[in-house]
Amino acid sequence: MLHTVDFRRWALVAAGGVLVAVAACTKEEAKPPADPTKQVFEDFAKRVDNYMKVRKPLADSVGELDPTRSQAEITARGVGLANALIAARAQAKPGDIFTPEVATILATLIKQEYSRRTEPVQETREDQQDELPDFVPQVNQVYPTTYPLATFPATLLPLLPPLPEQLEYRVVQHYLVLRDIEANVIVDVMPNAVPT
Amino acid sequence: MTSLTFARALRIAVAAASVTATAVAALPAQELALPRQSGSVRFLVLGDAGTGDREQYEVANQMIRYGRVFPFTFAIMLGDNIYGSERPQDFEKKFTRPYKVLLDADVEFHAALGNHDDPNQRYFKPFHLDGSRYRTFKKGNVRFFVIDSNYLDPAQVKWLEKELSASGSDWKIAYFHHPLYTTARRGPEVELRAVLEPLFVKHGVDVVFTGHEHIYERLQPQKGIYHFTVGGAAKLRKGDTRPGSLIAARFDRDRSFLLAEIAGDSLYFQTISRKGATVDKGVLVRREKR
Repeated sequence: MLHTVDFRRWALVAAGGVLVAVAACTKEEAKPPADPTKQVFEDFAKRVDNYMKVRKPLADSVGELDPTRSQAEITARGVGLANALIAARAQAKPGDIFTPEVATILATLIKQEYSRRTEPVQETREDQQDELPDFVPQVNQVYPTTYPLATFPATLLPLLPPLPEQLEYRVVQHYLVLRDIEANVIVDVMPNAVPT
Repeated sequence: MTSLTFARALRIAVAAASVTATAVAALPAQELALPRQSGSVRFLVLGDAGTGDREQYEVANQMIRYGRVFPFTFAIMLGDNIYGSERPQDFEKKFTRPYKVLLDADVEFHAALGNHDDPNQRYFKPFHLDGSRYRTFKKGNVRFFVIDSNYLDPAQVKWLEKELSASGSDWKIAYFHHPLYTTARRGPEVELRAVLEPLFVKHGVDVVFTGHEHIYERLQPQKGIYHFTVGGAAKLRKGDTRPGSLIAARFDRDRSFLLAEIAGDSLYFQTISRKGATVDKGVLVRREKR
């Protein structure tokens, strides 16, 4: 009899435990799954941040630039910063910041955005690229100083991850380029990003 | 600067500038179509100027010539301020030398960036960008909004909306490189228009000046806004404009620039060719007064 009571008590405790476990499992399942895009963009932001950490002491070493009447001073600062960045990132290679994961997402975003464009917009974008001589952008390359910078599509920019003010996106043929503005250096490239 | 001191400064500057001294002939006063009202805001508009070629210098000489009878205190540059390489000697050849007389007369140049401009031009003090790609400044009762249309990122759009809504000026003039409307071959920047035009309409921008197309166009008001394309201060795309309902006036046979005078609720303008001929002129009334 005692045995039976003990068993019943044990059965009740066990049942309660199962219920708690089931509830916990259900709670676990109700959690929204982690957003893979968010994770990839966070990783992208970290890589951009790492670049900025490399850049900061180099920018400090060439000095802050205030508006000046001397174009020579502006040029010297830009070239100094470019040389320092290229030397510090001598091992940099395509995809260091535009990793395959972020590249896949960005390419999809850009493709979708391009497919929504009307014909006049597509023509505008083609014209923008027409002004740009053919060249293959490379990591650590100084953007050719005699070439124009193709205007970046105004409605595409808000869809891309934000950048610090020292960096910008540019489109060169089918490449998405990450460019250091003051140094005029190509920081990373992403081929086949833009429909041609 | 008064008319007298400007004219004196120009005489001194012309005498000092051997490059332009022989080329600048006097302008008969009757060729001027602007009223020169006391206390008015007077300025020069030029776009796509920085080639360093002979044509740029010839257009600059007309600016000087007109400046003698229409003293203006500042100029707005609509982008492509320096084409090609941007070495110190390029700034000399493509900006400082052609406009030396004006610079010596303390005319301020307020530049916007074009697609041929290195964004580092924002550090070049004579362009008055104060280290920023976009900015705003005020002259008299006119607020100017200088926009970087090459890279209209969300931060710039936010800034623009804030500045537009804070502006209590009578006149609001926006200027940048790419035209929102044009009949020229390359066509309007429709994406830019989709972002900017609603802001301009909402906050009552009166006039938009752009360049990029190497012609002159004055368009019929679009959603209540006057649009000018003044992109021929050195380069030219001959025959590139098209007639049609969009156009109020056009000139594509030679280079050109524009002079403007704002007095009260009126904006007077005169567009002048490289040869010194008036190719367009008129007066616009501010939108709230129309």
